[in-house]
Amino acid sequence: MSGLQSLVSHHDVDLANLAAAGDRRAFGELVRRHAAGVRSLLRRMGATPSEADDVAQDTFLTAFESVSEFRGEGAFAGWVKKIAARLYIRRIRREKRLAMIAAESVGEEAPLQKTDAVTRMALDDALIQLPLGERMAVTLCYGAGMSHSEAAEALNLPLGTVKSHVKRGLEKLKARLATPDNSAPTGRLAHG
Amino acid sequence: MADLEFERRLEREFAQSAAFSDEAAFCRSVEARLNQGWTLRRWLIGASGVTGGVIGASQLFMTDFIHRVADLSQGSTRLLESSVSQIRPGVSLLGLVSTDQIVVWVAAGLAIVAIGFVLTRVIEEI
Repeated sequence: MSGLQSLVSHHDVDLANLAAAGDRRAFGELVRRHAAGVRSLLRRMGATPSEADDVAQDTFLTAFESVSEFRGEGAFAGWVKKIAARLYIRRIRREKRLAMIAAESVGEEAPLQKTDAVTRMALDDALIQLPLGERMAVTLCYGAGMSHSEAAEALNLPLGTVKSHVKRGLEKLKARLATPDNSAPTGRLAHG
Repeated sequence: MADLEFERRLEREFAQSAAFSDEAAFCRSVEARLNQGWTLRRWLIGASGVTGGVIGASQLFMTDFIHRVADLSQGSTRLLESSVSQIRPGVSLLGLVSTDQIVVWVAAGLAIVAIGFVLTRVIEEI
């Protein structure tokens, strides 16, 4: 128990180094810190709750396998979120759902997902009203920290399409988040 | 400028996440899958080591290794004895060195253990 308590005080990079040396308890602490962030990201990308949890689990297993590749140059949260985003895109590509994103689908809104999250954020409410392509592009660039090129590559879409998805998505989000009801987020800060 | 501010705000809001009622259960399930994978890997490594050891041992026996080693041992003993008798006539090495097959069996056993250990380490490194 005292070992676990001492891990809590470690920085993400130290925990990642311990995990790279085979310390699964250290990686468990990283999971505790970043699970909510990864699950939220996947839901924001349009995954159903159960789908998000499946992909989040695979994300952490993949991250553990390749944790030695994490050099600590960026935040661990960003690194693991990129893994999650790519795994989710691979999954929907396999299920042929990626074609929906390729289509411009202006005005077509993604269905509202029921969520078991204790708190809902204004951002989540605004995101679910975006067409899937815009929602995905905005979430990849601002949630997973991908550049437009990286997002285009991940989605296998032309760079121009991703840029226009992002631009339109941002305009809509800006309008929706500007209303007084949506000004205060009710979530919590992710670690790292 | 306003766009840049909005983008920064958006990044901050994306960095925040909702709280989940089943957070602890989710983390436990990830840890369980990690442990499951680790246990499976250890079993696979162990099984591969044992299989490698058995294959190595069977190869040693099938190539009549023990008799060859025994012949080699007897030949080298004779050679050593003739050399010693040239230097100190009347002294026999047979009384000092045992060429009994038990020695060869023990050596073969140790070799099997060593091969198993080496294979296990190699697979672990891979």
